[in-house]
This record gives sequence, structure tokens and C-alpha cells, in this order.
Amino acid sequence: MKVIEVRGLSFTYSGQDKPSLRDINFEVGEGEFVLISGPSGGGKSTLCRCINGLIPHFYEGELRGEVYVDGLPTSKTPTHILSQHVGMVFQNPQNQLFSLNVESDVAFALENLGLPREEIRDRVDEALALMGIEDLADRSPVELSGGQQQKVALASILALRPKVIMLDEPTSFLDPMSAMNLVELVDRLRRKLGLTILMVEHRIDLIAPRADRLAVIYEGQILYDGPPRDFFEKYDGHLYGVSVPKLARLSKEMARHLEWPGVILDIDEFERVVRLIAGHRL
Amino acid sequence: MQAIVFDGVSYVYPSGVRALKDVSFTVERGELVVLMGENGSGKTTILKHLNGLLKPTSGKVFVDGLDTSKYTVAQLATHAGLVFQNAENMFFESTVWDEVAFALKNFGYSDDVVRKRVDWALRFFDLERYAGQSPFTLSGGEKKRLAFAVVLAWSPPIIALDEPTIGQDSLQKEKMLHMIRLLNTQGHTVIMASHDVEFVADLRPRIIAISSGSIVADGPADEILPDTEILRRCSLHPPQLALLMARLRDLGMPRKLVDVDTAARLLVERLRP
Amino acid sequence: MSIFEGLRFRPGKSFIHRIDPRVKLSISIFILSLAAIYVDIIVLTLLISVEAFTVARAGVLRLWLRTLRGSIYLALLVFIITLVTRLLPGGPLAESLGYAVTYTYRLVVFLTSFSLFFLTTTPEEIALTLSRLRIPYEYIFAFVSAIRFTPVLADEMRSIMDAQRSRGLELDRGRLLSRVRKLIPVLIPLLVNVLRRSYELAEAMEVKCFGASKKRTYLRDLNIKPSDYAILAAAITLFATAIYLRVMGYAPLQILTGLELFNGM
Ligand SMILES: Nc1ncnc2c1ncn2[C@@H]1O[C@H](COP(=O)(O)OP(=O)(O)OP(=O)(O)O)[C@@H](O)[C@H]1O
Ligand SMILES: Nc1ncnc2c1ncn2[C@@H]1O[C@H](COP(=O)(O)OP(=O)(O)OP(=O)(O)O)[C@@H](O)[C@H]1O
Ligand SMILES: [Mg+2]
Ligand SMILES: [Mg+2]
Repeated sequence: MKVIEVRGLSFTYSGQDKPSLRDINFEVGEGEFVLISGPSGGGKSTLCRCINGLIPHFYEGELRGEVYVDGLPTSKTPTHILSQHVGMVFQNPQNQLFSLNVESDVAFALENLGLPREEIRDRVDEALALMGIEDLADRSPVELSGGQQQKVALASILALRPKVIMLDEPTSFLDPMSAMNLVELVDRLRRKLGLTILMVEHRIDLIAPRADRLAVIYEGQILYDGPPRDFFEKYDGHLYGVSVPKLARLSKEMARHLEWPGVILDIDEFERVVRLIAGHRL
Repeated sequence: MQAIVFDGVSYVYPSGVRALKDVSFTVERGELVVLMGENGSGKTTILKHLNGLLKPTSGKVFVDGLDTSKYTVAQLATHAGLVFQNAENMFFESTVWDEVAFALKNFGYSDDVVRKRVDWALRFFDLERYAGQSPFTLSGGEKKRLAFAVVLAWSPPIIALDEPTIGQDSLQKEKMLHMIRLLNTQGHTVIMASHDVEFVADLRPRIIAISSGSIVADGPADEILPDTEILRRCSLHPPQLALLMARLRDLGMPRKLVDVDTAARLLVERLRP
Repeated sequence: MSIFEGLRFRPGKSFIHRIDPRVKLSISIFILSLAAIYVDIIVLTLLISVEAFTVARAGVLRLWLRTLRGSIYLALLVFIITLVTRLLPGGPLAESLGYAVTYTYRLVVFLTSFSLFFLTTTPEEIALTLSRLRIPYEYIFAFVSAIRFTPVLADEMRSIMDAQRSRGLELDRGRLLSRVRKLIPVLIPLLVNVLRRSYELAEAMEVKCFGASKKRTYLRDLNIKPSDYAILAAAITLFATAIYLRVMGYAPLQILTGLELFNGM
């Protein structure tokens, strides 16, 4: 079952002469974790906007092709309906929290939809609990750290109970530990709730081991779409603006000298393989 | 003479936040130093002391031998150039050329010198072809380079960079790495705030690790980055290779930071039949 | 930046803070109306004492005094104008002075009447009050955003100023004209950044279904307590009595003789 289907998608922002996306074909199955990367200006954010309907409902431009989310055609479905199927977390946490306390922020979208108060109460409590931030409910977003703010932003999206969550460079402003916490949390939620995750990130080393797929968007096109390790096997990722994890480079070095099972991105696996070979040698 | 001296510096923001607590360190001329620490640990606060934007609440800061409490920002800025984290959002001139010339004019250089320096800076950062364009038309990476050019144009002996790699792709990061190394070999003292461990691992600088406004450790990257205990205290995690080497210590892998080639050589030596 | 600091609300837990904001709003309006119809120094003194007492109970006396201090220049102006306009047509000095004092006093009561409400009510409660008064949500959202983003913008402005000073800009040197020109390097980036931020905010609002339903609901609500009703009832009774006395033509100064000097009417 595909939750996202993109067919022959091209998009040019009005006022631009060059298309930002060109003939994109892209599918995501339910429960998948897709990492999206590529150079700055490649079109990653533009693709996200096409999936959650900000294009064409919010941004003007020339759109061709079709996008379906959970079976809904995005060009004919209003964004507030789409938002209940695909949620979006942005890069800058400051600019997606509007209220004077965390609880109201998590309730914000539900209030906008005019849901009954009891239902909002239930969903807000559930979202806060899922993110483990019940104790922040009464705090003002201004007082929170970047990591906490991003958790609130994610909670406010979870409250809409979407099937898909897209995150556009959510860890840019976070220190490594907070970034790691956020990524782990997203992965845990995916398993617990069966969510589909699309994450745009430059921190490949952190996310690639958890992702089922890597999609590299380069100059408005999908350069690569498949298992993360195969990308590094076939391409010099660096040339396409994708930072190559040190383990991938080490794997390739190892393969030049030893019998080695290709690119390994996960450190546990790397350690296992080394020990296996060392064991054989003994 | 030392480039930077922090002598028992504490800083309290007007709101009452104690951002620095008795911080002392010295940086020799020509050194390359990276401040690492969790969000809110005080990195930016330290950098803002270098050109006098902030003056210590107690203690003293000397930059190029000058006691910062006795000089204005404009005077200190010629000694220590500070590139802000979001400096690419601070442009206002109508052309890239004027943007770079702005500071030089403020510092009172002659037209001739201004011209020479602007042209040099634009060439160094590969921005010559945009000289007549508006800074707002540049791409993200180009804007970041312009932000560097704007400060480098007056060639301050001390260069301070706040989180230069945030939101940058790997091509841009590599350019930055080369540029920082080049400036450093040309004799500039470079001090940078960052929590991008892989980038810092490639740079191999001296690291000052801070946490909640106090220095936790100070030493070469080779020693600090593999030290999980120090890193944990600063909300950092070790670079991948350091972590791998730590896990394989029983196979004779070293405790210090290694690059890909060294790691490969050591592992292959150990594993080859 | 001190104006911005003033907007950062400090929540309190006193009895006064916990009174329903609608009740506090009503009391503020009562005080304002009474000050409007009674130009009488004793009533005005009573009103301001009520304010001072409640504000002190809420522990925000110092902030309240600051508002008082802020109104000094305006008060002085009113005093002088009243005095002059009374004296010029040939009014007796004592009576003119009486008018001037009373009018000024009344102005101060006017200006401070709402401080009881604003100093002891969180912006969030104010927003809820507005929604209960059926103010369209767009306006309430604008109000909340102003409170939410003022400190953010203040930080942004500070960091732009810092960045430009690092580039040798000396904001506080030179003649007035050149100083005004020096604001350009601060104002242009500020404007650009505000625009960019608004765009990002609008994007996030769209994703969070802003304006999706005509009938917006609210998670939090104001709960009026029995004690609130009691306070409201007491306030209404006092207010009605005062109106009645006024309509019947009684004013404290006409009852207490010997003080005609200050009787404004
Ligand atoms: N609102 C817009 N109006 C006009 N052009 C735009 C707009 N947003 C993006 N573009 C253009 O579309 C192209 C793709 O931009 P996009 O933001 O999707 O890239 P990205 O891969 O997300 O980059 P980054 O890593 O820098 O976020 C760029 O050339 C950019 O200039
Ligand atoms: N203008 C300010 N007013 C009050 N407090 C401030 C101000 N700027 C920073 N702080 C506080 O000072 C402390 C140190 O902040 P600083 O910006 O130096 O941290 P940092 O290490 O640069 O963090 P980051 O990684 O998030 O950039 C933090 O607790 C912060 O909240
Ligand atoms: Mg983007
Ligand atoms: Mg900082």
C-alpha cells in the first residue's frame, strides 16, 4: 500500500525561469522511513511542499504531474484536510510555535479545525505523553531549549494524527545530543504508531542507519532512490552534496584490501563484521 | 604576545542569566581553536567578548594585548573579526561589492585600499562574478561565503566564526574546511564555535569544551574527541571513527582520534590473513 | 529594550490574579465610568485607593507605580491647560486651581483604571476573555502573536545591531543626520528578516489548519467560580449605588461642607 505517490511532477515557482523540480516519480509505502538529502537548493523543501499541498495551495507557480497522499489528490484537496494525513515539522522551531504555552500550541491545529473540547483534550494529552513532555504543558515556548521546542512542534503535529510525518531539516539548530534524541524519538514513534517518515537531513551518519531508503535530490531531479548503503557504494556522495559518513568511507577502504561485505553504515554492524573476520583469523 | 587571554571571566546578562562562570584560557597567535558545548553553554557569549560587544562582568579579556574594557567595538573589531551565526541575514547594501566595502569604509581605509581589499576578498571567496549583483540574489552557500568575505576583507589577525557549518551541505562544508585551514596557515588566529563533531574531527584543532558556562576540558582534538566522558558532559557524541576505535580497543585499536586512512590501515593490518 | 521587558508578563498566584478576568475587566470599566461621571476629589480618591489596595494585594504595586509615574507628563499638561483656560476668562484663582487639580486627578484615575486588569491577567487570559466577548479570532491571534514574537524580534534586532557594530558601524557617534543614516544597516536586515519570518509563520499556520473552520473551538476556557460571582455582585452593587447617588444629585463634596474649593461641578 502506497501512502505517497508522485507521478511526473514538475514545478516552477512563479517568477523563476528554471523549474525547481523536474519530472519526479516517487513512491513511499506505509511505515517506511525515507531520508531525503542532496545539495542546498536541490529541491528537497519544494518536494515536501508538493506532498503536503502547500504547493499549489500556498505557493504559486507552474505545476505539472500528480501527487497523491493517502489516496487524496493534493491539487484538489484543501491543505487543512491534507494536514490530517501528512504532518510537517520545519527547520526553525521558533517559527512554528504560536501560542503562549505549550499546551495551547499542541491544541492549536485541533482548535482551528473546530473539534469538540473533549476530543482536543484527549488528543493533546496523548501527544504530550507520546513525546514525554507532559511537564512542559504550562511553559511558554520562549523559555524552552531548541530541542524542547522541536518536540513541542512534533507533538502539535502528532495531535492531528497523521499517517505521514515530514521533517525538513529538523535538527539544524540542535546540538548533537538533542539531535540524536529527536531522531531516536521519531524512529520509536514510527514503530509504535506505524507512521511513515520522510526526513530531509544533512546529518546522514545519524539517520542513514535507521532509514529504509535514501532519496537524493539533485538539481530538481531524483538522482538516487534506494537503500542508503547502495548509494555510497555506487556514488561519491560528496560530489552530490551528500556528506559521506566516515563508516562508508572506511568500508570502501576496507573492501580494497580485504573480503568485505560492502558499505556498512551502522556502527554495531561494522563492529560485528570486524569481530567476525578477526574470529576467523584466529 | 598571546592573541586572546580570558582571565577569570564571568558574564551575567542583564536578564540575570549567568552565561560564563570564571572562564580562563589563552590562545597563542596562529592557533586554531574550536569551542564546543551544548546549546546554551556560552560559546556565542565568549565570541562576543572578543570584539567588545560584551564586556566581562568580572575578570578581564585581552585581545591582541588590548584590555577590551578600555576600547570600543569599532577599535577592537579591526583586531578580531566576528562572523555571526546568521551573518548571511545581515546584508543591506545594493551590491555584493558595496557589502564588502562597508566595513572597510567604516574603518577609514582610503578608497584605493578599499578597492584592492574588496577585490581580493571577492576573489578569495570565489564571488567575483557577483560583484555587481544584489546580495539577496545569492544562493544559501554563496551568501555564507559573502558573510565571510565581509569580515575577511579587513584581514583581522583574529577571526571568530560562530557555527559556520549550520544548514550547509557537504560541498559547502568542504570549501569552508579548506578556507579555515588556509587562513590559519596564513597566520590568522582562528577561533570557532561549533558542535559539528565530524567537521571538527576533520579540522583537528585545539578544542575547548564548555558546559553551562564553564570550561570542562581544553586540549588537542586527538585527545578530546575520543573522550566519551567529556563529550557526554557537553551533550556531544564522539565522531564515528572515534567511537568505532573505542569499541575495538581490545583488538588493539588506539585511543586517539584517527582519520579514515589510518583507521583502515590499522584494521587491515589486524585483520589481514 | 526596557519597553519589551515590560511586556514579558510575570505570572502570579495571588487571590487577585485568580479572579476571573471578565470580573476584573468589569471592575476596571466601573472604575473608569465612575471617574467619568464624578468629578469629585473624594470619589476619585476612593477609586484610586481601591485600585492601590487590590494591586498591592496582587503584589504588583511597584509595576503599578511605574504606570503612575509614566503618566506624569500628560497629567502635568492637563493641569496647566485646565488652569490656564479657567484663569484666562477671569475665573478666581482658588476655583481654577480646584478644577485643575480635580481634572488632573481624574485623568490619572482614567489612565490607571485598566492597570488592575492588565497587571494581574496573563496575556492568555486576555485572549480567552476576548474570545468570550466574540472578538473574531484573527484579531485575537494578532494580539497573541504580538506578545509571543515581541521578545523574539527584540533579540533579532539586538543581534543585527551586534553584527553591524562588528563591521565598524558606530551607532551612537556623529551628527543627528548621519546617525539616522546609520540606522539603514540595521533597519533593512530587520525588515527582510521580518518578511522572511512572516512567510515561514504563514507556512506553518497553513499546515496547522489556520482558518479551516468558521467555528473555532478552544481547549482552555475561563471558569467562573462562586467567589467571582460574589465579587462581581459586590462590585455591581457599589457601582449601582454610586450611579444612583449621582443621579439623585448627591456628591460627597456637597455633603461635606467647607471643601467647596475643590468642588469641580
Ligand atoms: N519561495 C520560493 N520562491 C521562488 N523560488 C524558490 C522558493 N523556494 C525555493 N526556491 C527555489 O527552488 C530551488 C529549490 O529550493 P529548495 O528550497 O526546495 O531547496 P532545498 O533542497 O530544500 O535546499 P536547502 O538544503 O538549502 O534547504 C532553489 O533554486 C530555490 O532558489
Ligand atoms: N541576550 C541575552 N539575554 C539573556 N540571556 C542570554 C542572551 N543571550 C544568551 N543568553 C543566555 O546565555 C546562555 C549562553 O548562551 P550562548 O548563546 O552563549 O550559548 P551557545 O553556546 O552559543 O548556544 P547555541 O549552541 O545554542 O548557539 C544561555 O543560557 C542563553 O539563554
Ligand atoms: Mg530546504
Ligand atoms: Mg551560539
